Amino acid sequence: METEQLLFFCIVLFAVGALSALVPVKTFRFIPYLFSLAGSLTFLFLGLILTGITPVSYQALSSSSIFEFSLRGDALAGFFIITISLVASAVSVYSIGFTRNSVYASLSGFFINVLILSLYAVVLSANLFTFLISWETMAIASYFLVTLDRSEEASRAGLFYAVMTHIGTAFIIALFFILYRATNRMDFEGMKAGITAMPTAVKTIIFIFALIGFGTKAGIVPLHTWIPRAYTVVPPHVAALMSGLMVKMGIYGFLRISFDVLGQGPEWWGITVISVGAVSALLGILYGIIENDLKRFLAYSSVENVGIILLGIGASMMFKSNGLAALSSLALTAALFHVLNHALFKGVLFLGAGSIIHSSGTGNMEHMGGLLKRMPVTGLFFLSGALSICALPPFNGFVSEWLTYQALLLGYQSPSITAKIVSPLGGAALALTGAIAAAGFVKAFGITLLGAPRSDKSRDAEEVSFSMLAGMAILAVPCLVFGLIPGPALSLLMPAVYLLTGASTTLEHHGVLGIGQTSAALSPIGMLVTMIVMMIAVLVFIRIRGGKRKIVYADSWDCGISGLTPRMQYTATAFTKPIRIIYKRIYLPSRDIKVQYFLKPFFVKSIRYGGEITPFFERYVYEPATRFIQAVASKAKLLQSGSLNLYLAYILITLILLLIFAT
Amino acid sequence: MKSWIEAFSIIDFISVGILLTAVILNAFKSIESYVKSYTVNSWLLAGLIAVVAVLVGETHLYIAALLTLATKGIIIPLFLRGIVRRMRVTHEIQPYLSNSLSLAISGVLVAVVYASLKEGIFITGFSKNVLQISIAVILISLFVMITRKKALTQAIGLLFMENGLFLAGFSLTFGMPTMIELGVLFDMLMGVIILGIFAIQIKRAFASADLDKLTVLKG
Amino acid sequence: MSFWKASIERDTMGYLQFLIIILFSPLVNGMIKKLKTNMQGRVGPGVLQPYYDLLRLLKKDMVVSTTTSWLFKATPYIVFTATATAAVIVPVLSTESPYSMMGDVITLIYLLALGRFFMALGGLDAGTGFGGEGSSREMTVAILVEPMMMLALFTAAISAGSTNIVLIATVHPAAFSPSHLLALTAFIVAIVAETGRVPVDNPDTHLELTMIHEGMILEYSGRYLALMEWAHYMKQMILFTLAIDIFFPLGIAQSGNPATLAAAVAVYAAKVTGMTLLMALVESSRAKMRFFQLPSLLGGAFVLAFLSLVTHIMMGK
Repeated sequence: METEQLLFFCIVLFAVGALSALVPVKTFRFIPYLFSLAGSLTFLFLGLILTGITPVSYQALSSSSIFEFSLRGDALAGFFIITISLVASAVSVYSIGFTRNSVYASLSGFFINVLILSLYAVVLSANLFTFLISWETMAIASYFLVTLDRSEEASRAGLFYAVMTHIGTAFIIALFFILYRATNRMDFEGMKAGITAMPTAVKTIIFIFALIGFGTKAGIVPLHTWIPRAYTVVPPHVAALMSGLMVKMGIYGFLRISFDVLGQGPEWWGITVISVGAVSALLGILYGIIENDLKRFLAYSSVENVGIILLGIGASMMFKSNGLAALSSLALTAALFHVLNHALFKGVLFLGAGSIIHSSGTGNMEHMGGLLKRMPVTGLFFLSGALSICALPPFNGFVSEWLTYQALLLGYQSPSITAKIVSPLGGAALALTGAIAAAGFVKAFGITLLGAPRSDKSRDAEEVSFSMLAGMAILAVPCLVFGLIPGPALSLLMPAVYLLTGASTTLEHHGVLGIGQTSAALSPIGMLVTMIVMMIAVLVFIRIRGGKRKIVYADSWDCGISGLTPRMQYTATAFTKPIRIIYKRIYLPSRDIKVQYFLKPFFVKSIRYGGEITPFFERYVYEPATRFIQAVASKAKLLQSGSLNLYLAYILITLILLLIFAT
Repeated sequence: MKSWIEAFSIIDFISVGILLTAVILNAFKSIESYVKSYTVNSWLLAGLIAVVAVLVGETHLYIAALLTLATKGIIIPLFLRGIVRRMRVTHEIQPYLSNSLSLAISGVLVAVVYASLKEGIFITGFSKNVLQISIAVILISLFVMITRKKALTQAIGLLFMENGLFLAGFSLTFGMPTMIELGVLFDMLMGVIILGIFAIQIKRAFASADLDKLTVLKG
Repeated sequence: MSFWKASIERDTMGYLQFLIIILFSPLVNGMIKKLKTNMQGRVGPGVLQPYYDLLRLLKKDMVVSTTTSWLFKATPYIVFTATATAAVIVPVLSTESPYSMMGDVITLIYLLALGRFFMALGGLDAGTGFGGEGSSREMTVAILVEPMMMLALFTAAISAGSTNIVLIATVHPAAFSPSHLLALTAFIVAIVAETGRVPVDNPDTHLELTMIHEGMILEYSGRYLALMEWAHYMKQMILFTLAIDIFFPLGIAQSGNPATLAAAVAVYAAKVTGMTLLMALVESSRAKMRFFQLPSLLGGAFVLAFLSLVTHIMMGK
């Protein structure tokens, strides 16, 4: 019963935090965030408990069997609660400093508290009704956060986001309806008994609806277009919440429905998910690296990472359908660990981007530069986030991608040939997205933080306040720690893996991460020790052979042309232009060059260069769909002619029909 | 000798080599390279027949290998080279699909063939592998014929297809009776000579042997 | 605790074989250069020239651009230690390597990627066009090479059943199967691209438009330049050793017996000499390709790697 009181306490904390935001007292603007910090930390404690015990349920407001608000905490919920709490507490700390001067601080505080609480509620929901209510609250709170600053761009982004998320919700409602009709139960646990009798065709429909509905929230291609629009207009701490946590709710929903409720399905489900994940990752990061807006690039990178998570989930589904439970648990461990890691390092990156944009006054990479010298601590955290997301050792991103590779390589043990071909290709796709992401993050870090400042505001940028730095630290330190010592984190998600796949694997012994089936091993601590030893050895060697040397500071090599200006550096557009040229069949770029002459064609006065890529999904998928719906709607408009007589006639006809068919 | 062949899986190497010469067609632009690829393919085919002859011990297979070497490996390539020089068409300038894309599609074709033919009533072991490779060669040469325009490329594609078909039949029956083989080879030789003469005549009459220009001739 | 005791009781060769890579990599580069110049009809520098260069650079002062930050000065050390750690993972002479528990093929590739990441950042730090161009092209080449290299390595790993390099080296003494040969060909193309050799990049030039690696390290001098060059030599030798371990490890010592170790030394030296000869041949027989012709070359190598995977699935070996 302790857990119930703990849960009640958490909810109260968030509720008070939300309400306190509406109090218009200027000096205490940070109070809602203190409450959300306290609430997140308490929830963290709750989550840690939930991973260790048998599932607990709480009920409230049961009016009838359908409209019952009930929560249930099991190991899967516990794992997601831990993830949410880590990011939410970091964002709360960050917001204390960030919203100090913001105009909309009160409203944003209210909605942030509501949003975080709804995230917890989604994860803890035990039945369809609770789930839908929490899901909608999440959507509404985030919609208000997107449109907070009332600008033109924000309203448009908000509208787009609202439409997309409700399309997804429609699919989710449809699949819930099918589930209820087939099993006659509203709660997830009770449904499982009725699943075995369900025909495979119905299960397939549920699977597809789950993929589309939850995929819209998670951001798989081609349902991802709301992500870049929304993340660009929200403030950075909200973007960290949305990208790190809200898209994970899509993953959570998909896991809950397809693994927990549906149990297991045919092999082609897993192969479909692997393919969707690979395509989503590739297209997401390809569209991302040509963006010059820092937040848009990070948004596309989130789409890529969701694809990587789906690779692991798909491999797990594939193994489960072939009865290879141990391999299935390995693959799901990789996917869940990446869920945690992505929330952590994406949080660092968005918070860091927020600090950079705040200090330099612009979001466009082309106007930044040299910020590492002006904002050293933020730059260091951003670097650790970039190293983690590019899966470079010894950070956490490397461990989860290593596990995903191992899971995909073990796909060779499945019996079907399609699986044998698709799994290594999935590994090759993973390598490709990693390389593209590395190019993108070298560009993002190098152009914004290195080199010379490209605008005046960047030249005068200053380091941000302590609370903002502390918020970033809360997420950056685990990135390194979980990369070096993944054992504790893996043991936290093992109960969830056991719940979903029926097997658990102990991966870690004495600091070595090992795969039993293949004897492949990884020891991050060993690598760190080796690196330190090498570093010391090389320093000693250089000192012995080279003696004491001094450093002379001079200008960069300018080939004899004196006066290098910052404009002569490599630009962000130029950095990824070779990639745009190589993949031009995907980008379909168009170019627009206008030249003005003094005396044609001898003296050029000015050249204007514009380059654009085709927004493929919007032009060829969304616009035709929108036109079709509008055409249908305009036909349907005829039904509403405004004439009273016609409406009375409708009522008469309906009554007659009811009379005939109801008797 | 027999065990040495099996130990080093020479048959596998040769058959993969045959597949490679077919796949690599997609990467070349000059017709002379196509002819060189066909020559290597035919030599490898003759080599495969000879190795199987050693394994199985039937003498008529040695004759078949020599015949294949002589006609497909020496006479036809020489003839083709002569035609190339006479027609003065040396390069496939604008295929319908770019080289990289057609290379990738050939790779996918190979995978599709392997995946589809993994079970069946075929003799297991060497026959199954060689059969899969031969059908892959047939499909790839058909694909090359579809995506290229020059008449000579079409001819070389046909020749590759014939090699693939022969290999398919060979893997299932270990060689047809010599009479039939001789007949087929003779027909092929005649066919190539006639094709060559026609190609030169077409070029002389219409000033081009490009397929897309020749479609104007309908109706 | 017993785990550590048992590993210390193994022979020292397993612990120290990485020193061979660290110490002999400049010699390997010198050999390639000497062979290349001889094939081109010139006398060329001596094979020990890289050693003289490195030692000379260590004794010089450093000139650092004012535009750069702390990252510029840290990068050479990070690149060197990352590459040296990768050298520790790959077994050179003996499969009795305790470091096989530390990392596998994937770890090795990603450690090299860590070095590349920082090298690219260092190139951007000086705020010049050369560095930016070098970084941009290096990351683009990586995008083209990584999937192909991974797929070739995966085919070898699948046939051996593990990504553990020691295991791959002990399972198949020599890769005499068509799929392995195809994968080896693709991997050699990958080595040419990763080590920046003709036809991908020209390691001897200092012209702006033809340098990728040289562009990124242009601003470095003194001991920084020595470390970056040494790391480049080590990366080359690591990739050679990896190809040897995975595709033809015949002759690698599988016990601590001194006779087998001596034989392993001779065999390894012969194989590395063979690879330097191959590299010199490849470099002398081709001209550097235009940058945008590289996707065709590396795409073709990807198809080769894919064919090797499919052939392995079909033939089972």
